[in-house]
Amino acid sequence: MDRNVIVEKLRDIFVRILEHEEFDIKDELSAADVNGWDSLSHMLIVGEVEDTFSIKFKFRELNKMKNLGDMIEIINSKVDL
Amino acid sequence: MVFTSFNFLIFFPIVIFMYFVTPQRYRWLTLLIVSYFFYINIEPVFALLTAAISLSTYFFTRLIDGTNDEKKKNKYMVINIILILLPLFFYKYFNEINNSIFMFLDQFNVRWPLPKIKLLLPIGISYYTFMAIGYTIDVYSEEIKAEKNLGIVALFISFFPLILSGPIERANNMLPQFRSGKNPDYDMISSGAKLMLWGYFMKLVVADRTGIYINSIFENAEFHNGSSLIVATLLYPIQVYGDLGGYSLIAIGVSKILGINVMDNFRRPFFATSMSEFWRRWHISLISWLTDYLYTPLTFAFRKYKIWGIVIALMITFILSGLWHGASLAFLVWGVMQGVLLSIEALTNKKKLTFEKKFNLNNNRLYIIISIIITYILFATTEIFGRGTDINEAITIFHKMFTTSGNIFIGTSSIVIYMIFGITLLLLKDFTDEFYPNKFLLFESKYKIVRIVSFSFVFILILLIGVLDGSQFIYFQF
Repeated sequence: MDRNVIVEKLRDIFVRILEHEEFDIKDELSAADVNGWDSLSHMLIVGEVEDTFSIKFKFRELNKMKNLGDMIEIINSKVDL
Repeated sequence: MVFTSFNFLIFFPIVIFMYFVTPQRYRWLTLLIVSYFFYINIEPVFALLTAAISLSTYFFTRLIDGTNDEKKKNKYMVINIILILLPLFFYKYFNEINNSIFMFLDQFNVRWPLPKIKLLLPIGISYYTFMAIGYTIDVYSEEIKAEKNLGIVALFISFFPLILSGPIERANNMLPQFRSGKNPDYDMISSGAKLMLWGYFMKLVVADRTGIYINSIFENAEFHNGSSLIVATLLYPIQVYGDLGGYSLIAIGVSKILGINVMDNFRRPFFATSMSEFWRRWHISLISWLTDYLYTPLTFAFRKYKIWGIVIALMITFILSGLWHGASLAFLVWGVMQGVLLSIEALTNKKKLTFEKKFNLNNNRLYIIISIIITYILFATTEIFGRGTDINEAITIFHKMFTTSGNIFIGTSSIVIYMIFGITLLLLKDFTDEFYPNKFLLFESKYKIVRIVSFSFVFILILLIGVLDGSQFIYFQF
């Protein structure tokens, strides 16, 4: 899947769950930089991402997602399969 | 040997001396030896347990690291967790389960004449078991590499400042520090000494003075009226804060003097404005441990239920946390109460944020004060069930609070005066640290004379009104 398509879909998910657009989409973006992205919304976002791309994460992959770039890479590796 | 014992006052200077004369690369060995000495001093046989947990954890983490087979990695992790949990389960729940079975059989007139085993819970067993489990999972999740030096793993699990009551540390913070054995600088030593001093104040002056007053009420609850019970209930969180918070500060201070940085365990908990914030400030090392190794995996497992998955995870986490405190109905109620309060906050979180934004309440002093008071009262109420009493007593206290009134019990007036004085001082310090972080500095004042006067003042206070007869720490029993 094209990287830009993934990024756009992710942006939609973040806006839907967090209910604001006050973040810059870039690879280094991490949860700590975004208002309202806490342990509560994190799993909601993860669930939405899985549904949107029809993929399943492993728990260990989640631990390794330190920022948006990591997330995109893991999604990419799964949708291409 | 505990921090408030006379023995520790002799032990610690000797440890410092031994630590600094040891060459840096062997300092872990010195710490390991003195840690075992410290623990053996409490009950020799318990040291076998820490040794066994260390060996098992060392062995299985090396196995996890040594294979690429995911299934094997998982298997080794699970085996080690089960193995090291066995002693904890045995010591904590054996008697309760035994009694329940006897009582159950007794109802059918079946009597099973087994002798009762009197078990003494190895002090600190939960803390080092949790640390060992955390380390095992971290190696499995590839957060850290398995340590190759058995001595360092053994030290991580038995490090004497933390072994009795935490903070529950993580391997990725401690192992590199044990390996390097670096010298503490002047700032570390002085801040360590300050933390110890304040920790002793919190324990000996605040917690133990308050404890005398509270116990005289709670232990004779049937003779006291609702007003006194309300006062005791409202004071209890302060006693626990002084007790475990004070212990933690001494532990952190002792470690700092040895050049080792340990995580905070409390961050001015009584200024939290919601229960979820409260739990990010109270017993932080336990809560972050539960969050990482229990709550987060649970939310992941239940993620398809969206927000309700989080509610399920919160309930399970706090019910287990309650039952960890003890296998009793009261602790179960405590866990359910915490879970329900946090779930309500999770479910209403968005509405609350919108509401606060709409009326610009985040900087509204009155709103903040009211939120702080409500949070405190909620926590104090749940603690009626979290004190380790049986459920009937907790319910009686709860019931009496609203049905009987009268004058507040004073008892010995000097105890009450000392108690109020100690609590005021503690809360005042937390208040300025919270709202005016760089003002009214005493311990950290830039004027030497202010620093010296304030240390001496606290030191004299401890000697004058501290309870110095070596009482127990509440959290040792867990």
